[in-house]
This record gives sequence, structure tokens and C-alpha cells, in this order.
Amino acid sequence: MGIAITGIGLVTPMGIGREAFWDACRSARSGLGRVAAFDVRPFRSNVAGLVEGFDPAKYMPAKTYRRMSRVSRMAVCASIEALGHSGLNLGDMERQRIAVVLGTGYGSSSHVEDFYVSLLRDGPRGAEPFFFPETVPNAAASHISMVHGLTGPNTTFCQNQISAENAILYAAGLLTRGQVDVALVGGADELSEIEYRCYDALGALNRVRVDGETAAVPHPGGGLVLGEGAGVLVMERLDHAVGRNARIYGLLRSAVITGGPARLGHYEADGKGLGRAVRRALEAAEVGPPEVRGIDVSSNYSGEIEEIESRVIREIFGPRGGGIEVSPLKYLLGDFGGAGAVRAAALALSLSTRRPLPRIDLEALRQGPHLWRTDPVAVGDISIMISATFGGGSAALVLSRMMT
Amino acid sequence: LAESRSRRAVVTGLGVITSLGAGVPAFREALRRAECGIRPVTLFDTHGFPSRMAGEVKGLDLLAPFEAREARRLSRCDLLGLWAAKEALDDARLDRKRMPGDRIGVVMGGGAGGMLSWEKFRRAIWSREERPRPSRLLPFACCTLTDLVAGHYGIEGLRATISTACSSSATSIGYGADLVRSGDLDAVIAGGSEALSELTFAGFSSLKVVDPEYCRPFDKNRRGLSLGEGAAVLVLEEYGRARERGAEIYGEVLGHAVNSDAYHITSPDPDAMGMSRVMARAMENAGISMDRVEYINAHGTGTKTNDQAETKAIKRVFGKAAAGLQVSSTKSMVGHCLGAAGAVEAVATIIAIHHQFVPPTIHLDHPDPECDLDYVPNTPRQRKIRIALSNSFAFGGNNTSIVFGSGEGLERDER
Repeated sequence: MGIAITGIGLVTPMGIGREAFWDACRSARSGLGRVAAFDVRPFRSNVAGLVEGFDPAKYMPAKTYRRMSRVSRMAVCASIEALGHSGLNLGDMERQRIAVVLGTGYGSSSHVEDFYVSLLRDGPRGAEPFFFPETVPNAAASHISMVHGLTGPNTTFCQNQISAENAILYAAGLLTRGQVDVALVGGADELSEIEYRCYDALGALNRVRVDGETAAVPHPGGGLVLGEGAGVLVMERLDHAVGRNARIYGLLRSAVITGGPARLGHYEADGKGLGRAVRRALEAAEVGPPEVRGIDVSSNYSGEIEEIESRVIREIFGPRGGGIEVSPLKYLLGDFGGAGAVRAAALALSLSTRRPLPRIDLEALRQGPHLWRTDPVAVGDISIMISATFGGGSAALVLSRMMT
Repeated sequence: LAESRSRRAVVTGLGVITSLGAGVPAFREALRRAECGIRPVTLFDTHGFPSRMAGEVKGLDLLAPFEAREARRLSRCDLLGLWAAKEALDDARLDRKRMPGDRIGVVMGGGAGGMLSWEKFRRAIWSREERPRPSRLLPFACCTLTDLVAGHYGIEGLRATISTACSSSATSIGYGADLVRSGDLDAVIAGGSEALSELTFAGFSSLKVVDPEYCRPFDKNRRGLSLGEGAAVLVLEEYGRARERGAEIYGEVLGHAVNSDAYHITSPDPDAMGMSRVMARAMENAGISMDRVEYINAHGTGTKTNDQAETKAIKRVFGKAAAGLQVSSTKSMVGHCLGAAGAVEAVATIIAIHHQFVPPTIHLDHPDPECDLDYVPNTPRQRKIRIALSNSFAFGGNNTSIVFGSGEGLERDER
């Protein structure tokens, strides 16, 4: 698979824009904090990874984003940054040859809530039509196509926490089969009060509460911490990227999605599907476990993913001299369906700058304490991103540095 | 590319449940009898809405196959989808000894997913009359069905759920076929499910695009769409394997295309450029010249703009040949099943090919001068169909067109 990542756009709780995000990433600066956007007093937790200080007016005129939901705004802004970063000149391009593929957990849950509440409050004739169009999860990808005039394939995936991974795999197929030359690929989610309320009702949230300025340190294995944000990658077939002399931040060498049985609302219990995804992704990329340096995992404080990721990584990558280190970026970002795109962007930035992602000992993943290491070490040329989701799906992506 | 031309994705299992009944035979006979499944809604209170009609699945105990504890956690969307998946998988009888679980994928399309269950939770909070039950939230995401199907049938390959409103399950079938043709997988369970919900019912009402009675696609007096619900599932299998095990082949996915209008979040482009291109690209992807298409299962929602734009697009793509095409909207019988629409219509199209009859567009009594194609009004036709298109156009300008063939192996043009 010769697919180049040539542009990155990010709107995340760890920073808005690629540079702010990478700066936070390098120093393991957490994006988790006390929720101020809505009232969290009724809930057992008051922490999340929310994007603060986000102003779409810095990216586009108010007229363009006025009717967009928060998730659409974040996704569109990430796409604007990513396209700018890629140096692609859309004026010279056949717009039908550019795809838009996004992954999202729930799209705009706030618009679902606002529309349904308008119906409960005002009855059938009072239901507010403004909110309805953005209740569909594909709204964000459609806005990206409209803002940039992209008429190629446009698809949105919803697969809980491997939504963006699914988008990346699908886009890789479009590029490999030659159906498009370029794809804007990403993930985006908004964290709304209703989503927080639902996760709280299910007892899934980490019962961490903080006051004021204290740093939010969730309990290891105590439940997940929700987040939000958007990440968009510009992906191209390698020959296309080389042909236009693009700067290449990383190569996607393989992407595999598998699954195994799981109880409703839980992760795959035995991790067999996850192990299979990792092995097959390594095979497809033709790399052996010792060649892989960066291991970006999807652990989210739930305890369940920590369990299976620890086991699978130890089986496949251990034992190693000096122990195994992993980068659980969701500990800094919070968890959301499209987070895979932000994590993939982080890996590409790490490979291209030769700076490692922040990391902790694999042995500390399950029980803590989560002591971050950010000292510069050799990052090597190959990294892997591993993801598990409730529902039982698993994904593994192998990325490598562009050899020059 | 050489491989994708040698590997073919054929359909060896079908399952469908709609307001016309449960199962392929019931659906087929209802299409033959030109029945209408659009009736007053009983699932929730529709007082005060401009229309109280939809294609609701009625008269079936969907919970019967499940234990009480499991049944409580499944959404209506999951129940419909599991019903269709069971029919399709029982029908296909895949040779699981020679096809391990990781060579099979599940790619579903979804829309509102477990919205109806979520609404019960949300309404309980709002009214304070009953305790909100958190278990109703578990099946909220539309990918729940995908996970349930994979889990239930021991499928360990790719699982993906596409949610692009009204084109979701058409795209899932196209993607599934690509995965089989490319050699990534040997079989894909593809399709989609959608249950009626207050949110979608009120939503389309608020946009003023619902016909107060029943939808009448392409009719001069059409006033909008009717919603529907249901599920349809196709087992897509690599042709060589299907033939080797002597499976019955209902048809073939010859190709498909997906594109975007990049025009408006809810309205189709009146110039119908996206719709035109997606049909042309689908035929190109299938390696089929347009003069060989005999039937189009139209998106045909019954809204003013869609039917006019779709007609324009067909005429632009097919030119003079458009007059000889048979075009029909099976939504006139089952309503618009949103996330499941593409899959339900794929099954209708395959039935048309396999059983050699063209399903009609019902409620079409007053021809619209702007819609002047042969829409097979009101009466089905006995006709041998070898190649057909199925169109799905969604909110957000997401268009998908699939090319189906009879699977007899004669379809592809030699280039």
C-alpha cells in the first residue's frame, strides 16, 4: 500500500491547529479538564476533553458556518487547515477525483437533542426544522464537500471508537483502486451535554471530579473520559504526491479491521480479534514486530481496553530489552469515535519530525501510575496504531516515515 | 485491476422485511400485486402531524426469537436487521468449513439506529413520569446491528457501518462488492436497517416534504415522500466459491459509484450533475455500456425536486435511449426506508432480474410533463431484465448508483 499523508488539520482539546496540538503532544500536556460548556453538577464526573477557544471565524466567513453544528464546524476547519498544509491547488485539480471520508461516533448529538426537545416542548408543528438536517452523521463530510467544491466519493462511517479507522481503510481502498487521486480523510465528534448525560446514565464515565485549576487525573481503569475534536488528513497515492513534489509526513503501509464477539456496550473480551488485526497489519506492511518503535494504543481509562491491549502487545512485541512503551493518546485527548484520525495525525507528525509521542510503560497501563516520558529517543521508521472499540471491533494501522 | 476483473461479487443470499411483509417471497408477491404498505402509524402518537402515514412493519412478533433479557436491549432497528440477516444467511448457507470467519465481513448501512429507544429514555427524563431506563441507550449507535450480526454469526473480518442518510445501505452494498472483487474478503454480509422514529418522522414533516396521504413518485400531484421502515441484507460472495459449492446465484453486483453534489445539505442539485455523473461512473465501473441497461430502480422519493432532477439526470446520461428504459420507484409501495432504502431497493432490483418482472410505480395516475419517462405505472410487467441500475440519493448530496446483473456471466463488455 503506497499511500502518502501530505496534509494535517486538527481541532482538538490538546490544541487547535497542527502546531498547537503537536506542541502539547511533545510535552504530554493534557487536554482533559473540568467541563465548563454545560452543567455537570448532576453527574458523577465533571471531566472531559473539550475543545476550548475554538473560533470558526478564523477559518471561514460567518455566513458559511452559521447553519453548521459544532461537529461540522470543527471538521470543516480541520479540512481547511489540512488542505492548506498539503499545498494542493484545488484550482488545478479535477474535483471529482477527490474523496471526502469521515468517521464519527454520533455526528451532531446536540442537534438530535435540540430537535427532539423542540418536538417534546412545542409539539409536531413546533418542531424546529433548523436542527433536523444536521442530525444525520454525514452532515460534516457534506459540508466539507460543499466548502471546497469536492464532487468525488463522499462517505461517512459510524463504528463507535473505530469510526475514523474505518474511514482511513475505505479511503485507502479508493486510492489503491485508482478511483480517486486524493482523499480528505478524518474523524470528528462533538461532546454535548446529552452525550455526557447518556454515558453517565450508563455508568460508563470515570468518576473523576476536579475543582478549578487542578489537573484532571482520571482513575486507571475507572471508566472512560469523553472527548471531542476533529482531525483531517490529506492522503494521496504515493505517485501522485511524488509527482507534485509534495512534502510527505508519513506513509500508510497497511490498515486492517477485524472483530470478535463482545457483549453490548463492551469491548471484545479475549482480544483475539485485536491480535489478529495487529498481526495481519504487520504482515501486510511486511514488517516484523522488532522494527516497530512507536506503539499508539487506544486505551481510554475504561480498564477493558487496557486489559486486551496490554495482553496483545506483550504477546506480539515483547519481550524487549528495556521494556515496552506505549502512547495512549486518549489519556490526553479524551475518547470519541473519530479520535483515530487525530492519533494517526500524531503518528505522522512524530515520524516526520523524528520526535517520539509521549509514552508510558506498558506495565503501568492497567494499574497506573501513568508517568509520561517525553524525552527525545530514536523513533525509528515504523509505527503502529492499535484501536479497540466497544461492540467488538479492532483496527491496526502501520505507518512509516518517508525514506528520502 | 486485473484481479478485480477476474473476481466477481455475486449475490447468494437475500433477506428482507418491510411494511409489505417479512421474507423475500412475501416481498416479491407484494411487488407483483402492486401492494401499498403505507398506512397510519401505530408505533407512536402522530396526532398533529401533517401526515400520519408511513410504511410501518406490522403484525409480526419481532421479539419472538430472543430471550426476554436480550430482547430488552435490542432496538427495533436491530430486530428488523437481525430478521433480514437471518433470512439471508439461512438462504445462502455459506460453506463455513471452507470459509473461515475472518474471510467474511459485515458492512451495513444505518440511519437513525436505535433512535426510537433513545427517544423513550429522553421522553422519560422530560416527562418525569417514569424512570428513564439506561439500557435503552445501549443500542443507540447505528453500528450496533453490524456488531450483533458479526457476533451472532461468528464473523471475524472487517466490520463497517456507513451512515450517509438515504444512501447508507446502497453504499454498503457497493463497498461490500468492492471488498469481494478486490480479494480482501471472500464474502460480505451487506445491507441495512431502519426503524421509524419520532425524530425522523417529525424531521421530514418539519421540512414540509411529506405527502399527507401516501407518496406518488413521478405523479403530477405528488406532494412529498412517505417514510418507511425495514431491513434488507444481501450475502455477497466471490463467484468462484459460490459456483464451486453449487450455490444459487440471484444476481451480481457489477459495479457502483459514489459521489457528492457539493451543492446543498438537504436539496438535490436541480441541474442534477451529481446524479448524472454517479450513474455514468457506476456503469463505467461495471464495464457496462448504457445501451445494455434495461431497468432503473429509481431513488424516486415523490418530492417535487427529486423526481424532476432524477428524470433530468436519466435523460442526460441515457440520451435517446432513456425513452426505452423502464424506471420505477418501489418507494411508492414501502415508503422511504432511509438508511435501509438502498438495500431494500437492491433486493427489489435483484428480484426483478431473477424473476423477470419489473416492479411498478404505484399511485401514478396523473403523468407530470416534467417527468416523462416510462415509470411502469401501477402494473408490473413480465420482462426479462439482465442489467439494472439502482439509485440512492441522500441528504448532503451523497449519491450512489449500483449496477446489478443476472450473474450469468455474459454481462461485462469486453474492452
